[in-house]
Formats: sequence, C-alpha cells, structure tokens
Amino acid sequence: MSVLEVKNLTHCYGGNTPFINDAVSDVSFTVESGEIIGIIGHTGSGKSTLVSHLNGLLKPTDGTVLIEEKDIWENPKEIRKIRSKVGLVFQYPEYQLFEETVFDDIAFGPKNMGLSGDELKKRVTEICEIIGIKPEYLEKSPFDLSGGEKRRVAIAGVMAMRPQIIVFDEPIAGLDPKGRQDIMKIISEYRKATGATVIIISHSMEDMAMFTDKLLVMSRGKLVIFDKTENVFKNGKELQKIGLNVPIVTRVFYKLKEMGIDVPLDVFTVEKAVEVLKNAKAGDRNA
Amino acid sequence: MLKDITFGQYYSANSPIHRADPRMKIVLLITAIVFIFLSKNMYALLFSCVFVLAVLLISKVPFKIYLKNLKAILPILIFTAIINMFYSDGTANKLFSIWKLTVTDAGLYRAVFMATRIILLIFISSVLTYTTTPNDLTDALEKLLSPLKYIGLKTAVHTLAMMMTIALRFIPTLVEEAEKIMNAQKARGADFENGSLKDRAKALIPILIPLLISSVRRAYELAEAMECRCYNGGEGKTRMKQLRLKPMDYVICFITVLFCVGIILINLI
Repeated sequence: MSVLEVKNLTHCYGGNTPFINDAVSDVSFTVESGEIIGIIGHTGSGKSTLVSHLNGLLKPTDGTVLIEEKDIWENPKEIRKIRSKVGLVFQYPEYQLFEETVFDDIAFGPKNMGLSGDELKKRVTEICEIIGIKPEYLEKSPFDLSGGEKRRVAIAGVMAMRPQIIVFDEPIAGLDPKGRQDIMKIISEYRKATGATVIIISHSMEDMAMFTDKLLVMSRGKLVIFDKTENVFKNGKELQKIGLNVPIVTRVFYKLKEMGIDVPLDVFTVEKAVEVLKNAKAGDRNA
Repeated sequence: MLKDITFGQYYSANSPIHRADPRMKIVLLITAIVFIFLSKNMYALLFSCVFVLAVLLISKVPFKIYLKNLKAILPILIFTAIINMFYSDGTANKLFSIWKLTVTDAGLYRAVFMATRIILLIFISSVLTYTTTPNDLTDALEKLLSPLKYIGLKTAVHTLAMMMTIALRFIPTLVEEAEKIMNAQKARGADFENGSLKDRAKALIPILIPLLISSVRRAYELAEAMECRCYNGGEGKTRMKQLRLKPMDYVICFITVLFCVGIILINLI
C-alpha cells in the first residue's frame, strides 16, 4: 500500500509580490511503506520546500499530498495530527533544543500529542533504548552535550512521536565521520524497530548509495528522476548534466574503464567494489 | 506570518533625493521640520504643504506608500485633533457643545492646524527613511555625531554607529532563524495558533530560548570574526565608500533654504 503519495504538487513563494517564484512545480511520486527514499538535488532545487509539504508545514499552492490515501489538508484543523504521523527532522536540529533536561526535550513532541505520566516516560525511554541514549544522559542539560550528542537528542525528540514516515533534511551535515556513522545508524535502528518509511535529503552520494532503495532527483523545482538507486547511478551522465555526481567509488571504476581495464560500471558502494576487485583478482589467478 | 515584518523602509528608486548625500538629508530634514513647526499662520502652513508635496513627488516613491505610513499614526493624529478641538480660550466663538465640552471656531481651527502639521511631519520624515538605505543612515549619523569626540566621547560615536549597523544587519537573519525554529517546533506538534492567551504565551518559550541561545552564539562568532580582521574600534578606520557632497546636494540645500526664508517672510504677514 502506498503510504505517501504526492500529486502534482506546486508551491510558489511570494504569491502577490513581483518576486513570484515556483520553488516546487508539478511534482508527483508515490512511496511504498517501509521504503528508504533519498532526495538529491542542488542547493535551492526545492528539496526542503518539498519535504515541508509532507507534514503540512506548507500548504501546496496546487496539488495534493496523500498520507495513507487521505488528503492531509482535507480537514485543516487536524493538520497537527499529521505531524505526529510524518516526523520532520530539519537541518541542524540541535538548534531547536530548549528544555532544561534531555528527557524533557525528547518528551516535548509526545507531550504535544497528549501523552502524559507513565505513558510519556515509556515513550522516551523506549526511543532512547532504540537509538542508544544512555539513561544517565536524560537528566543532563541538552546544552552541556557535544554537537553530535545534541543532534542525536534532537532526532530522538522527533522519533519519540513514533512517526510512520520520518523525513531527514541533511541529517549528517557538519558532523565528523564518526558522528555521521552514528546518525545513519540510529536511522536504521529506528527503522528496524518500527518499520517506518524513511526519506533522507543528503548531498552525500556515498551514503545514498549505501542506504537508500530509491532516489528522487530534483532540479530547479522539478522532479527529474525517480527510480531505484542503482538505476539512477547507472545514468551517471544524466546526473552530471544537472550538476550532481555519482559516488566517488563509481568514479574510480569509470576511470579504470577508461584506462582499458575491464571492470563493471555499476559499483556504487565500497563493499561492492571490494567484492568486484577480489573476484577480478581470483579470475586473474585462474587465467 | 513573520515574512510580513518589513524592516528598513527603503524604497528603491532613482530620484535626486535617493542620490543625495545622507548627511545632507538628515540636516535638511531637521531644518525642514523646525520650519514646518514655525509656520504660524494658515498661509505659511499652506506653503509648507506645497513644499512637502513637491518633495514627495520628486522622491518618486508612490504616494500610496506614504499613506501606509500615515495609517500607523492615525490614532495619535485623531487623539491630538480631538483634544485640540476642545481647547480654546474664552474669547472664541462657541460653535456647539457636547456634554460639558465646548467646541469653538478657534479650537476647530487649531485642531485642523495641528493635524496638518503632524501629517506633514510624518510625510517629510518618511522621505528620509524611504530614500536612504539603513546603512547610509548609520554612516551619516556617525559622521554627523563625530564632533562629540571633542567632548570626551571619542569611541562612543563609532561604537554606537557600529551597534546600529549590526542590529540592522541581523534583523533579517533573526527573522529567518525564528521561522526555522518555529517550523521545527511545529513539526514536533507545537501549537501556536490555538488555546488561551496564557497557553499561547507559553508556546513561545520553545521558540524564544533557542533564538536567544543562537543570538548569543552568533554574537560570539561575529566578535571573533571582527577581531580576526583586526577590528579595534573606530580608530584609524577608513571607508571604502566616502561620503562626498555633490553639486546636486547644494541645489537641494538651496531649495530648502528658500523654503525656510519663505516661511519666515509669510509669518510676517
């Protein structure tokens, strides 16, 4: 069943000023339950505007967003309910922390959903277990944590609402390699525990190749490609035309091919590359 | 919703007033205001009206925009007019009375006179803010206040001007930041639109605290960046854009002086 469907979505900023600007125009796509979708595109290509529609932060100028086959704007008063179904983690989410303790901050979302008492406590401790926030952290002030830890707490704050669809806008921007790994790990842990659908915006083609099932490519507010990740990366030329690229490891294989070495070009992750190279080596020995 | 906050009222156009030296504009504005208030009789006031209207036309800013500015001050305007209407000395002719308050012809005349003065004042001041960018304004203020350094306020003038410039520069940044934080909290189910006044005030905490923290962080970063570029206050600082008086500035000055002389002469009638 399609958990999310976007139909002919158009959004233009500055409706009645001379600066009319279609940030997103005529975008349609369908997401099946449990998929991991990556969104790639240039800065300013409308990625963030697009995802802000998924939980009703922005109202489409034209078109509809359907969650579980229901138009989210059917009843505008109920839009806050959509926000607990579709979690949205913004860029640099650590800047949204405000409570005195980590526990209170994670509890903010569920509290807004109307949970309280033991139920609320259960929610928070559960999510902390899933993504590995130690219980002794819960009483600390979020402002005493390190950058990576803050981000993890902020993400936990959205996950604690238990959204069925969770959207991340550049979740790993500005983190060190260890921090990036940690964030990607908690995203997969959450998915494993809840079976949620995940949508990730990122500029890291390597992470996209590693984690996503499908890729949605945006350029100048339009959806250019929506296909399985390997199919998108197979069309490297198409991506380069709009100023994007394929993972570095794939570029290495392109170069090897150019140098006259017979290698496959559909290598998108380091693991796959290692495997291919090992096979090639074994083949050499046999010859 | 936050996008509605317009700041810096600068209206981009290409008029002699836009191009004029901001220092000159500030000085002439103050002079013009003084002389509008010196208008004693009806003819002088009428002459002021003509002068102000001419300035508005030359500024090439649509009249509609000036009127918008007037709307904000309307309650004060009406209040002043009404108070003045009831205020008169005993010699005036009684027109009508409401309850214990009497309206006389002198009072009515005074009310209209005061209201016109205030309107003119608003219009002529808006010319300055509509035709001068905030940065030009602070630059000009710094230059105009620079004599203060002779009375022991050496760094104060520059510091004040720098503070103003920074404050103006960061208003759009803060608005953008507030919007981001608001969206983030909305995504966590925060509700800013419903509930009692107390609830709504409480709902602002999740926005205000992150905003405050990020402002402090920004201030530290900015201070560091300024120090890295050897900023040490105003001393020895030169400017890329030097303010220089052009022939047109003298023309504008001359016209204003004519206006002042005119007011003095008409007042004698």
